This record gives sequence, C-alpha cells and structure tokens, in this order.
Amino acid sequence: MIAVTPQGFVIAGRRIPITRDQIMLLMVAVNEAFLGLDIYLAHGMNGTIRPYEWIPIIFGPVAGLLLLIAGVIALRRRREAVLLAFAVFAVSIVVGLLGAYFHVQRAIPPSGPGAPGRALDLAVFAPPIIGPLTFSLIGVLGVIAAVYEDPPGSGRMVAPGLFTWRVPFSKTRQYLIWVGLGILATLLSSVLDHGRFNFANALVWIPTVVGVFATAATIMLGLIAKPSRGDRITVLVSMVALIVVGLIGLYLHTQSGLVRGTNIVPERFLRGAPLLAPMLFADMGALGLIALLPSGAAAED
Amino acid sequence: MQSQRVLIVAAVVTIVFIGLVLVIAVVFRPTAGTAGGAAESGEVRTVAQRANVLVNSTNACVACHRTATPGIVQQYGVSTMAAADVSCEACHVVAQDYPGAIAHEGTWVVNSPTPAMCDDCHAAEVAQYNQSRHGIAAYVAVAGAQDLAPEHLTLYTNVPEAQANPDLSRNIIAALEGEDLTRFTCYGCHNIGRPHEDGTAGECQMCHLRHEFSLEQARKPETCNFCHIGPDHPQYEIYEESPHGIAYHTGGERWNWEAEPGTLTVEDFPAPTCAICHMSGFGTTGTTHDVGDRLSWFLFPAVSQRRPGYQDNLVRMQGVCLECHNPNFVNDFYTAADAAVERTNELVQEGQDIVAQLREAGVLTPEQFDEPIEYTIFELWHHWGRTAKFGVWMQGPDYSQWHGAYELLSDLAELRAYAAEHLEAAASDSGG
Repeated sequence: MIAVTPQGFVIAGRRIPITRDQIMLLMVAVNEAFLGLDIYLAHGMNGTIRPYEWIPIIFGPVAGLLLLIAGVIALRRRREAVLLAFAVFAVSIVVGLLGAYFHVQRAIPPSGPGAPGRALDLAVFAPPIIGPLTFSLIGVLGVIAAVYEDPPGSGRMVAPGLFTWRVPFSKTRQYLIWVGLGILATLLSSVLDHGRFNFANALVWIPTVVGVFATAATIMLGLIAKPSRGDRITVLVSMVALIVVGLIGLYLHTQSGLVRGTNIVPERFLRGAPLLAPMLFADMGALGLIALLPSGAAAED
Repeated sequence: MQSQRVLIVAAVVTIVFIGLVLVIAVVFRPTAGTAGGAAESGEVRTVAQRANVLVNSTNACVACHRTATPGIVQQYGVSTMAAADVSCEACHVVAQDYPGAIAHEGTWVVNSPTPAMCDDCHAAEVAQYNQSRHGIAAYVAVAGAQDLAPEHLTLYTNVPEAQANPDLSRNIIAALEGEDLTRFTCYGCHNIGRPHEDGTAGECQMCHLRHEFSLEQARKPETCNFCHIGPDHPQYEIYEESPHGIAYHTGGERWNWEAEPGTLTVEDFPAPTCAICHMSGFGTTGTTHDVGDRLSWFLFPAVSQRRPGYQDNLVRMQGVCLECHNPNFVNDFYTAADAAVERTNELVQEGQDIVAQLREAGVLTPEQFDEPIEYTIFELWHHWGRTAKFGVWMQGPDYSQWHGAYELLSDLAELRAYAAEHLEAAASDSGG
C-alpha cells in the first residue's frame, strides 16, 4: 500500500523521503540535460553546428546541473533555491520559444511563406517547429513543481517569499494538462518525422494511435474536476503504453542504425532514425505517471 | 458511464482519428505513375517533381537573373539548396579584396565559387576531397607542380597519390599539345583539382552540376562518365558491361536516388553505382569524398603498388561488397584480382625493362615521344595495362581481355621485336 505524507511516500511501511514535486523536479533536470544531447545530435546531422545552435546544446546540461544544485540548496535555503530554479525555468521557456522561432524562420523558403506547394513539405522536412518547445514545456512543469499550492487543490500557487498566482485548475490538473500537451507535441513530431517516408513501415502507426489515445485521455483527465478511479486507471494504462512504445521505438531505431545486427554505424544514428526521439514518448509517460502520484494534499485528491 | 468518461472520450478521439486517416487515405489515394504514386512507395520526390521555391522570390539576384539567365534560376529554384534557404549571395558574394573578386551590380562576386564557399556548410566533404585524387593531384598530373603556390604545394604533398607519383614536372603530352589544345583536352577533366587564387583547389561543381546540385545526378554513373571513359581509364564502359552496370541499366529507374546521404541500404540501391562503391555511406562503410579511400592499389601507374594503409581501405570497400556478397566470395575475388594485378605488373615491367635497355644502348633518346615507338610504349601501360587492371577489379571481362591484356601483349610483342632488331643493330654498330 502507498501512503502519502507531506514529507514523502510510505510504501509497504518504508518511508521514501521524496515528494511528487521533487520527483517531477528531478525529471525536469534530467530532461533539460537530455534535451541538450538530443539537440546536439539533431543539429550535428547538418554537418555544421552554427554558433547560435550551441545555445540549447550548452544550456541543456547546464540547466540540469543548476537544478540539481538548486535541489541541494533547497535543503537549507528554500527561497534562494526557488529563485535559482525559476531563473533556469524562465530561460528554458525562452530558449524553447526562440528555438521555435528560429525553426520557423528556417522553414520559410526564399520565395516567402506563400510559395505554392511548399506548406506540407516545410512542415515535414523543415527543422521541427514543435521540437524546441519541449524546453518550454519542461520549464513550465518545473515552475509548477517548484511552488506550493495553498490551500491544496485550490490552484493558488505560492512561491514562498516571492509571489503568488492563481490558476483555475489544481496543481495535479495543471500537470496533467501540460503533460497532455507534451504528448500531443511528441505525437505531432512523430507523425511529421515518420511522414518523411510516408509511413511506409506499418509499425510507425503504433506510436501514432497510442499517442492520440494518451493525449486525449490525459488532457481529458486534467479537465475533469472529480475524476473517477476508472478515469485514473485509463490514463495510468495509457502512460504505461507510452513507456512501452518509447522502448519499442528505441529498439527499432537502434536496429535501423545497425548493419547485420552487430556492426554499429554512427553515421546512420546521426542521419537516420533519431535514437532518442522515441524515448520522448517514454519520457511523457513517466511525467504522466508522476502527475498521477498522490500529492499528499488530501483536499485535492 | 460517468466513471469511464476519460476512456470513452479517448477512445472516441482515437477512433475518429483512425477514421479520418482512412478517409484521407482513400480520397487522396494516388494513382500509379503520378508523383503521388512515387511518394506512396516511399520514394523521395525527384527534381522534376519538386516545386520551384524561387517562383515568388524578390531576391535581387533572382529577380534580375530570372531574365538574364532564366535557366540557372529555374535549376536553382528546384534544388535542395534553395529549399534549405541557401541564397545566391551565400556562394557568390565575397569581400572586395577577396582573391578573384569582380565588381557586379554594386557588390563583389566570384563567378565560380571555390571549395572555400562549399566548406562553409560541407567542411568534412571538402577535407576528404582535398585528400583525394580528385583534388589538386588531378591538376598536378597534367600541369606539374612548378607553378603551384606554397599552400597548393602543401595540399598536393598531403595527398597519397603524390607519394606514388613524385614526378612534379609538367606532363609531356600536354606540353606537346600546347595550351590551345589542352584547355579542351587534358584540363577538361584534370581541372577537377585546379588551384584557386583563394588558396583552395578543386571544382566541386564538376560532379555536382550547377545549379540543381541534385543527389540523383551526382550519384548516377553518367556523371563519372564525363572523365572516366576512353582508352586510358574506361571505367564507365567497364561498369556498363559489368553485372553491376547491367543491374543499373535494367532496373536503376526504380532505385532511390534521392535517399538521405549516409543512410543508404540495399533497399535503396540493390546494386552499386560508381558512387556507392567509392563514396556513399553504405553497409558498414561511412560516406567519403575521398575517392581513393576504399582502394587497395594505385592502379594508375605503369607498375601498380599497394596504397599506404590499404588494409583499412580494403575493409571499407568490403563493407560495401558484404551487403550483397558473402565473405568467401569477396575474399576469393580479392585474392584473384590481386594476382591479376601482379601478373599485369610483370608484363608491364618487362616492357619497362626493354625500354631501359633501349635507352641505355642509345636506341632511344632521353627525350620522350620523339620516336613513334614511344607512343606504343606509352599505350602499353597507360592504356592497356590500366584497362586490364580496371577490367579485373570492376568485372568487365571484355575490357580486361580484348581492350586490356590482349592489347598489352600485342604491344609487348611489337616492343620485343623492335628491341631485338635495334639492339642487335646497335651492337653491330658499336662492334664494327
């Protein structure tokens, strides 16, 4: 049995001294670091990484490290830790928006955005416009995780000693809605990437269908004020399905980079099926599972 | 029902999505023979099927050249470079003090961009190219190295071919022809490695034709045919008669010519072209623009030698072969082809030894090509010896036999008879 206290979980009588928000913050830090690596691989595909493209590559791991430092500082100086974390999240949101802007700019041909017959090509073959927004999503989830909700379930978010704001959804529902949007972004990226070869491989329909179901389920759960146990189980199952899809995708993408099952060809990893991309499904599944964890706030759950 | 709201909504959304996909798939099902038909089969669209992204361009270069040189604008408009937002200015506009810059419409440009411009985005490809026989070594083979700037000489001495052919003097045949001819003869091909005032060397656009820069064009054997044809190195003809060439000519129209570089498999190319064996990322072998990177021998000199580090080159080439052939086949073929090269070397070396005797006896002057027999001596290795070796490695039996080994034997017989006659006469003269 799982019990929840303000200081953490109690599982089968053993106290796990970490809260849902702390797990979420840890995932955010890991995500920041991995995004840097993922962007390095994606931009490296062009052969040349332009100077401003190093911004997210360097920012990712630095942000992850700063968030871990903030976590340590929070043990004694919570206000300073929240300030540091907020700064990282703010930059993360800005980096994501800037990246999306740059990708849109790169997608516009010399003839202008209205060139005939180009719209779909640009969406499919241009730099992924949605991709950089993952930084923004992670930043938003970090902001939600770094603050208190007072009273629990009220949507009143409090950064101690800094500021307070009100959201029409509880913290859990905010998590779910943002994770749902993250799944939607992952789904769209997957559809556009797989669209490059016209869904020639039937297996790529698996992440598409599971992604649609998980998006709808997660956002729906976030929009419902009083979800039933069945509703939660539906989302729980869809999150597990996302993780399975991510792992299967990782295996299949790895296979496409191998020759005769044993020899690894780095060039194929660079230019072929992106190795880390399927793990974004697993990542979203994990974030969704964290959002489903009891918050320790009785009024909300 | 209320307890399963999320499940119901998510299921409905998913079913509606699948339904929409099915409707779209049925309504927009492409018919055979159309561009959509190609897309459905997983093919990337060819140049002819791409939209011209410069149609509405207001770029100053495009606006003017649309009238002045519309062909260039049309070609570039459907290129992947234009689609990637590479402007005309990116390759042509330079600073006023750039070597070779000319004033043009209020700016400074180079007519023909050098590898320095390609290097901005394709640094690895340019570096590999500089290491290859397609780089400055090709130019030095005709022009010699006496007029090279120091940076070009450095480029040359770093190429493996420079070690195998340390003679840096101007090619004698080119000197005999004179510049009025060599512009259209030797340099027509050997300019692929010509030096530029900006310190670079090479003509990327000899293989990547302006201004479409099409992957399909660069990958097709016809591109190599521009130079690799004729009696001295008939690789294109050999390829055409080889099993690989037959596969290309009978099924190449179905191959995936625009596949993403570095990801090519036998599904894209069921049989190899020149580019697949020598350059493309294929099997376990990575992409290279060094055309000698997978070769075991220097086949172009009279007597062939192993290339430095040929064992590594061999592994890279065999990485391509092994995508279709089993290791026993490949190893047996390499063993047999090595032996064929050694046998050709023996025959050519016999000719070289006879020539040395003729020069030592004073039958031949030290100058080359001042006696008719010297053309036979030259053709013996430059045409027939090479063709025999190329025919062996590229599996063109008619070229390894009738255009190669047979002609070599014929010239060798003529040379033996010439030597016997003239050496005997020379001995009589000196004896009398």
